[in-house]
Amino acid sequence: MIIIPAIDILNGQCVRLFQGDYNKSITYNNNPLKTAKRFVQEGALSLHIIDLDGAKTGQPVNMDTIIKIAKNINIPVQVGGGIRNYQIAANYLEQGVKKIILGTVVINNQTMIKKLISKFGTERIIVAIDTDKGKLVTNGWQVINSISIKTILKKLKQTGVTTLLVTDKQKDGTLNGPNLTLIKTILKQKFNIIAAGGVANNKDLKNLKKIGCLGAVVGKALYENKITLSNNLTKRVIPCLDINNGRVVKGIKFKNLQDAGDPVALAKKYNKDGADELVFLDISATVQKRKTQIELAKRVAKEINIPFTIGGGIKTLGDIRELLLAGADKIALNTAAVKNPKIISQAAKQFGSQCIVISLDAKRKNNSWEVYTNSGTKATGLNAIVFTKKMAKLGAGEILVNSLDRDGTKSGYDIKLLQAIGSAVNLPIIASSGAGKKEDFLTAIEKGQADAILAASLFHSGELSIKKLKKYLQNNNINIRL
Amino acid sequence: MIAVINYHAGNIASITNALRKLKVDFVVTDDPKKIKQADKIIFPGVGRAGAAMRELKKRKLNKILPKIKVPFLGICLGMQLLFDYSEEDNTNCLKIIPGAVKKFTDEVKIPHLGWNKVEIKKSSLLWKNITTNDYFYFIHSFYCAPKNKVVIASTNYGGQFAAAVQKNNFYGVQFHPEKSSKTGLKLLRNFCNL
Repeated sequence: MIIIPAIDILNGQCVRLFQGDYNKSITYNNNPLKTAKRFVQEGALSLHIIDLDGAKTGQPVNMDTIIKIAKNINIPVQVGGGIRNYQIAANYLEQGVKKIILGTVVINNQTMIKKLISKFGTERIIVAIDTDKGKLVTNGWQVINSISIKTILKKLKQTGVTTLLVTDKQKDGTLNGPNLTLIKTILKQKFNIIAAGGVANNKDLKNLKKIGCLGAVVGKALYENKITLSNNLTKRVIPCLDINNGRVVKGIKFKNLQDAGDPVALAKKYNKDGADELVFLDISATVQKRKTQIELAKRVAKEINIPFTIGGGIKTLGDIRELLLAGADKIALNTAAVKNPKIISQAAKQFGSQCIVISLDAKRKNNSWEVYTNSGTKATGLNAIVFTKKMAKLGAGEILVNSLDRDGTKSGYDIKLLQAIGSAVNLPIIASSGAGKKEDFLTAIEKGQADAILAASLFHSGELSIKKLKKYLQNNNINIRL
Repeated sequence: MIAVINYHAGNIASITNALRKLKVDFVVTDDPKKIKQADKIIFPGVGRAGAAMRELKKRKLNKILPKIKVPFLGICLGMQLLFDYSEEDNTNCLKIIPGAVKKFTDEVKIPHLGWNKVEIKKSSLLWKNITTNDYFYFIHSFYCAPKNKVVIASTNYGGQFAAAVQKNNFYGVQFHPEKSSKTGLKLLRNFCNL
């Protein structure tokens, strides 16, 4: 179960209400973005943001602030309050908000919910079931409805809703513990449930987990340090070694290749410098129809004991097996994934999703990106976002996002591409192509929502050392292994 | 002699390379006889639960492993297989440690991939020279939910899960010590010294 910190915004400030009473608010902070960043830094994996003014008035009041938060932090955000028509909901979902929470519209506009589900997917729609003494409350909890909760749940099921946010108004802001009985009753109807209201301590969290909640929204208890977050999963720094005829090479947009040394010697050096992982891409492989070097995998595995990925010209399950046996931890697939998507599901089934990386070569085309294969030389006509979603469905475990527009240009990562891929799939994302300075890495993590950042020539040339980069990221509140 | 169980499901080169670095004697085997004779056993984990259990059954190792009395280390999938049941491929496992193996819910990114801290919950010889601030490398979509108090370290990823367990001579670690740089080698050294 996940702990989801709550940020309730009233008049631009972070507040907590007592039992939903707008007259009984405590202001904790006047800067919601700062609060959001603090939660991220403390290890939140997701945020819950409510536009209280919006909930009360029926239209968004703090939308700009909320979208700014969603765009400036690298974890998913769910937003509620004043989302009463399709356009507003779509606006949020198209501008970086991962999930929206619908309350009031549930009573009188199931058509809108249906439309949202078909456009954005049911996983991005949460319906709030807010209750007061067993009755459904809406409109910022100011209106008590006569319709029974049972009837509403039945309707929602038919509409295709799968996730509910369940809050007991009487409990909210009280630190009196959640209403477990209410949640249990609703759980029986087989919904995914995020519980809110009254969560005060670790025992409450344990209870919610035990009964089968997916998440718990925690507000006051976090602001008052009764519950603390701690997620220590670090962002990974990955040097990439492009291999051509057994040597490390560097070039711009896969062209004008220059020798950059022996792969194993470089691998050892990077391991010593604190690289979190290594990626070897045999860029000659696909074009020259040559198999990736098993020998290289063996040599690298002998010398270093951090994870490494190998890619380039890998075509068959046999190739994958051989490389894994040689010591590779993950296999990156590009051309083969396009030509023969089945290989992804077969490999995931045999070896586990965790070792299947999709190396996506994407190039800007109109308002989206096109997938390229054969070391970035061949356009496929496939849309990169659609393709990535398909790969995730087939069982890929990670996406390595290369931008052909940015590769070797040192003009920074393609943040929009990273955001688009990151919000399309629930997989770890490695940002690649375009790093020119240390700030670019920070932007890829903070704005691009990347889980790992990869660069090649910048490291090979000695312009930026891994140590220096990691220190810089840590100084900017990024979780880093030093 | 340490026996590294080969169940033909994936990468075991990483663990053997690490053992070579530590200069310990080992044999990679799927032979029940050799496994019974070993004075320590490492059960590496790569691949999937269903396929791995099928391979173990082929060699009757599913019957032999629960009876092992020497120190036994299950890594990642090797730890998960020690439990009763895994949601991965709906697999009945070795039933050495009571509890189930569950999938992370999609509230977090799956797999849990990268370097994470482990919080030491119980002292163990495995933790010699290792502290709560050290990082280990994880890569998994499923986690162990033990029924009993076997957790010796936990990690937070959308909630606490068992990063390491111990029941009698059976140890399990969810992370990959063989891929966790110097800290990982320390842990393997500690196991070899048991």
